[in-house]
Amino acid sequence: MAEVTVGGLRFHVQRLGPEAGVPVVFLHGLIMDNLSSWFFTAAPKVAAHQPVVLYDLRGHGKSERPATGYGVQDMVEDLCGILDESLPADQRVELVGNSFGGLLALAFALARPERVRGLCLVDGQVHDEAFGPEMEASLGLEGRERDEMIARSFKDWLGRHSERKRNRLARNASELVHGTSLVRDIAHSVPPSARELERVSCPVLALYGEHSDVRERGENLAARLPHAQLEIIEGCTHSLLWEQTAQLEQRVLAWVGRESGEEG
Amino acid sequence: MSDTLQTVGRMIQEVIGDDWDLDQPITMETSFGDDLELESIEFVSLAEALKDEYGAEVDFVGWLSTKELDEIIKLKVGDVVEFIDLCRSSS
Repeated sequence: MAEVTVGGLRFHVQRLGPEAGVPVVFLHGLIMDNLSSWFFTAAPKVAAHQPVVLYDLRGHGKSERPATGYGVQDMVEDLCGILDESLPADQRVELVGNSFGGLLALAFALARPERVRGLCLVDGQVHDEAFGPEMEASLGLEGRERDEMIARSFKDWLGRHSERKRNRLARNASELVHGTSLVRDIAHSVPPSARELERVSCPVLALYGEHSDVRERGENLAARLPHAQLEIIEGCTHSLLWEQTAQLEQRVLAWVGRESGEEG
Repeated sequence: MSDTLQTVGRMIQEVIGDDWDLDQPITMETSFGDDLELESIEFVSLAEALKDEYGAEVDFVGWLSTKELDEIIKLKVGDVVEFIDLCRSSS
């Protein structure tokens, strides 16, 4: 397995495509996701033109799962370390994040603006004051309520899979939620202030599903970012990566391949 | 059984590891999703194993870039075997 060690933790990292060009780093969602959701959608298409880096967030996919250290800033440090190990130090990257991966992409752009050329948020979660408590409430459920929440999530994300596979994935998700400090750490991560958001200097493409439960907050976020371009994808929910895969791939491909200064 | 099918079959077994419980032999008609229930992250590991085995001769990621998600979900072992044989015969 392709591994990179950062801060003593082993990360599963996949590098695709050519050596030359602006690198594109894909970030996946939380809990029931891993790098494969990009590996089988937009990543190979982008890798036909530009270098691509994919990795499993700590605790996810085939990366190591420590008991603690799941705050947004911890994950920003992970990403920083992975870029340092994978690319030349001064190389700026395009970040493409799905759901929580979008939240992480923006947090990274705030922490390390000199490393970011542009962001593409795919129904990105928005780190406002309500995000932590809401996430803690939905993932911190117990018993029947928790089982129902997991079943609902699987219906959205993994409807193609058999019951045996669903059970295996549910067990894995449950271990991450209940066996680590992930929920607490993310819930207690400090959201960026309005002033910080106004200082984001890179161009941002914010794609949201027409019927996504995150849409309104995404629109508010895009309105605060100085160089954001908001696009609503018709008929889609939060799962727009799966609902309009081909359309999304084309949009991402055009965005990350834009000339510098061009809005894509 | 062709050499390529045998090699791919061995890789699949290695990728699935301890969860392996298929009682049928892997054939050209075996599907990754419905028959093997390969998790998508396991399929990434298979792509990596193919790269280790065949190197640049077999550009599996390049091949994926030409496919829509629905085609990838329906892939059979035989599709991958035929792609490998095609790459190797033309190189």
